[in-house]
Amino acid sequence: MKSSLLKLGLLGALLCAGSLRALALDGAVVIVNSSVAADSLTADQLKDIYTAKTKYWDGGQAVIIAVLPDKTDAALQQACGMDSSSFKTFWQRLAFSGRGQEPKRADDAAALVALVASTKGAIAIVPADAALTGVKKIEVK
Amino acid sequence: MTTHYFQRKLALSITAASMAAGTASALEVPLTYFGTNMPPLDFHGFASQGYLASSDYNYLANNTRNGSFKFTEAGVNMSVNPFPRTRIAAQGFTYDVGAAGQYDAVLDYALAEYTFNDYIGVRAGRIRRAEGIYNDIQDLDLARTYVLLPQGMYNARWRDMYTTADGGELFGTFHLGTGGRLAYQMYYGLQRPQLDGGLAIQKENLPPYQQLNYFNSPQIVGGQLWWYTPLDGFRVGVAMNDDQDLTFQTVAGVRAEGSPFTQHYSLEYVVNKWTFQAEYYNSAVDYDITLGGNHITTAKIHPDTWYAGAAYEVNRWFSVGTYYSEYYADLTHRGGVGATPSDGFQKDAALSLRFDPTSWWVFKIEGHCIHGTAQLSDNRDNPVRNDNIWFMLAVKSTFSF
Repeated sequence: MKSSLLKLGLLGALLCAGSLRALALDGAVVIVNSSVAADSLTADQLKDIYTAKTKYWDGGQAVIIAVLPDKTDAALQQACGMDSSSFKTFWQRLAFSGRGQEPKRADDAAALVALVASTKGAIAIVPADAALTGVKKIEVK
Repeated sequence: MTTHYFQRKLALSITAASMAAGTASALEVPLTYFGTNMPPLDFHGFASQGYLASSDYNYLANNTRNGSFKFTEAGVNMSVNPFPRTRIAAQGFTYDVGAAGQYDAVLDYALAEYTFNDYIGVRAGRIRRAEGIYNDIQDLDLARTYVLLPQGMYNARWRDMYTTADGGELFGTFHLGTGGRLAYQMYYGLQRPQLDGGLAIQKENLPPYQQLNYFNSPQIVGGQLWWYTPLDGFRVGVAMNDDQDLTFQTVAGVRAEGSPFTQHYSLEYVVNKWTFQAEYYNSAVDYDITLGGNHITTAKIHPDTWYAGAAYEVNRWFSVGTYYSEYYADLTHRGGVGATPSDGFQKDAALSLRFDPTSWWVFKIEGHCIHGTAQLSDNRDNPVRNDNIWFMLAVKSTFSF
């Protein structure tokens, strides 16, 4: 009996451990289009956006995710718990079943920043050394 | 010039458009070019061509013992956010799997969606039915390592029955603090089974007097609940649905009416390069069989099926996957009954290799080792069935944009 309770306790601790992590994006920052009112997001809010649980900003504007494949994989994993391949598959499932809009892709950091700057409601994880012109940097708490 | 002719022309156009656009990334059409301030339309599409070959029996298509290319799918979809919190999406789709589909072009889904907040939103129109990991994305070859999903649970020939409903659904997500998230979808609508769909095709292989010439459009109510646990990538799902008075009739006037109730349980864990999945499904229905209004008998149909599988992404080009599945036509007689007991079960061990040479082209090859004949419903093509082991090769290539 005690052994079973101990195992359950360990399982519960393991399950809860994921939600207690502090978010630190390795070598990357989060940017949004200037139309987005928010100045900061919690780690959970960022995860909700990247896992399609939140599809609209507070004002009702659609969230448009933009990605830079292969360049920000570590930060993407930290933000939403998926690597770039899983992330792509996850969004294809939503897009092809009519439940979501696939993230837009850019070829390099400059193109990603330009894409976010020109797309209302856009959000992206970009390399920390990218030149952030025409976009708003978001603090992730 | 028949409607069927135009459907086939449209189907071929969908396929051609998908193939032609394969080298492009997603298309975006800014409507400002047309003099409006509408946000841009997003277009995506895919086209797949497969090949099936089997030993001993013909499976899925009619002549797989000699190899068959009758394994084609194509679709084009669009979505747009015209107003705050509002989205419109639609997909045209065509497929040909053996005798099912026949390249008829269908409006796969067409829906309007309004999201009030994270907790509740509503979709209306022709919606994809959420059930298990794959029901609403059965045709999305890109989203899995396998060529063939476990056929006892996701039968490629029965899409007309299982994938969509004309009606609406509520959806949303609740945050459970350190307990993760709970996502739900609850739907209600009408099913649109087709006379060239899976059930009808299955019956076509029976004697002429048992062939179907009528389906109703039964109401279906159901839902899917997913618990996204605090452990990243691990989710647990349960889905249930209830068909109301599904009715079909043979050319001889024999009528069957019943209300299938389905339960579907799912586990999925995506961690690093691994994906682990396991699901269980069962369905129960008592069909009242009548002729000329007179009750003849009651047919109890109670199949169940399960599978467990794993896939591993070796690198950006190659993935491997495997699953083992069991299907039982009647869970109260798992060993089968009658002259052909192997028709009572089908057990399938599959091994898959996926190759992604580019972001828009996927190539897959898969082997199956199968015991049992429960899903060899093409009786006319498999007159003799034995309790032996048999094999299947499935190859598929998909272009997408």
